[in-house]
Amino acid sequence: MNYRKYKPVDFHNHVGGRKGKLDRKDAKMRLMAAEILGIEKICISRPLTWDSPSPDEVSACNDIILDAMKISKRFLGFCFVNPGYASQSLEEMERCIVGCGMAGIKLYHQYFICDPALRPVMEYAAKLGIPVLMHAGKLANPHAQPRLSNAKHFLKAVEMFPETTLVQGHIGGGGDWEWNLRELESLNPSARFYIDTSGSVIDAGIVKRTVEALGENRVLFATDGSMEEGVGKILDAGLSEKQMVRIFSGNFHSILSGRRY
Amino acid sequence: MIFDINTATGHWPFRRIPHEKLPALKNLLESKGIKGAAVVNTHGLFYKNCHDANIELAEALSGKPFFIGIATINPAYPAWERDLQACVSSFSMKGVRIAPQYHDYQLGSSFAREILSAATSMNLPVFIPSRVIDTRQRHWLDTNQTLDIREIGEFSLSVPSSRIIVTECSVSSSQVLDKKKKPLYPGLYFEISRMSSAYGQEIAKLAKLAGTDRLLFGSGAPFKEVTPALLKLEAIDCTQDVRKQIAYKNAHQLLGI
Repeated sequence: MNYRKYKPVDFHNHVGGRKGKLDRKDAKMRLMAAEILGIEKICISRPLTWDSPSPDEVSACNDIILDAMKISKRFLGFCFVNPGYASQSLEEMERCIVGCGMAGIKLYHQYFICDPALRPVMEYAAKLGIPVLMHAGKLANPHAQPRLSNAKHFLKAVEMFPETTLVQGHIGGGGDWEWNLRELESLNPSARFYIDTSGSVIDAGIVKRTVEALGENRVLFATDGSMEEGVGKILDAGLSEKQMVRIFSGNFHSILSGRRY
Repeated sequence: MIFDINTATGHWPFRRIPHEKLPALKNLLESKGIKGAAVVNTHGLFYKNCHDANIELAEALSGKPFFIGIATINPAYPAWERDLQACVSSFSMKGVRIAPQYHDYQLGSSFAREILSAATSMNLPVFIPSRVIDTRQRHWLDTNQTLDIREIGEFSLSVPSSRIIVTECSVSSSQVLDKKKKPLYPGLYFEISRMSSAYGQEIAKLAKLAGTDRLLFGSGAPFKEVTPALLKLEAIDCTQDVRKQIAYKNAHQLLGI
């Protein structure tokens, strides 16, 4: 199938690097993979996974993304912040998004998506008209990531932050995706909510069931580094032409059209 | 021509799996351009007397030359030697799968070594799945054990001349090569469905350094979608001859078909 005509945008991916320095080899390998698989744009971030990264550590990660954006226009940066440092997070958003053209926010599991600590970041994201992508899942072992947001947290978050576009990360990220989809059946129809398809899990029917549960207008193609898995599971979902257009890139462009900076 | 080394039939108790019956699985694979497949019976993971799953599989395979049956044997259960013999001589099965995660023994145990020895003496490849599903999303009654490539590799060294097909494993070249880039585990063969292809060309690297005969196309159907594995095959930076080896020739050679 010629899916390349949909000009796929990978909504969830990363690049490597340390201490503010981009791993250029890794970045080039990602660009090469995107070229081979016909992926037009790659949204990238560099989140930190420990409890409370400092503002300096966070800025160094975003410097890596800014470097990557300089080597290829194929990369679209997402700004990582630790909402526990509210004022510094807003300054970092100003620097990376308003100043340097990043396209969204990336959050990791420092806080649940429905934690009131996120309010300043969420409100500023709404003001800028940019999406907030959150690492998410429902793991069999909840102790592995105790503040990992799942669909239940998102249902609460869309009520708390109704003006912000929220994206639940990687339905195929290794958690119980069926559980997440069942929870999302009670999603408020007016919610500004999307889910991305990334992750290494390619269980038969995973994307088909996601589209059935949420509709194609809420589903974003993404890989999170699992490149062939990311493309292949969309192609195997039995989708119509219209659904493919929405998922591979249409929904991404709809989100981006809301930018106000 | 593509031959799928990693497919299964039978009911999985923890999630609805479309195409779990052989006719539906064959239709699915053929619709993707796959011309033949090695198949195991999922019931063999769960039956205490797992040879009944081999009998079921042999019955289901009758008149279906598309599929090559692979036995599932529990070497910690009585009479497994007779079962293995029956699978080869009566059912024409061409390999044996062991699943210590589901049959409650360790890969380093004498049970495992004995069946690897027996299979090797019968010239049968041994299939070892690193896992059946991603344990991060497992059902509360399912196993949480995953076999690591080094554990399987060390096991392979315990029986010289053994041939082990590692399925469902995310292998990178650095895990299976020494500092001089020589294979650490000469008896291992790798199914590609969880290996990275376009990004970093891991499959191409492994083919180059471990040997082009070491890699086998597999999809993991019907548990997993099939197209990702096809994209991996297509994305390998290699000659058409090597791609053919990975697509089917290596599997045919190993299974003697």
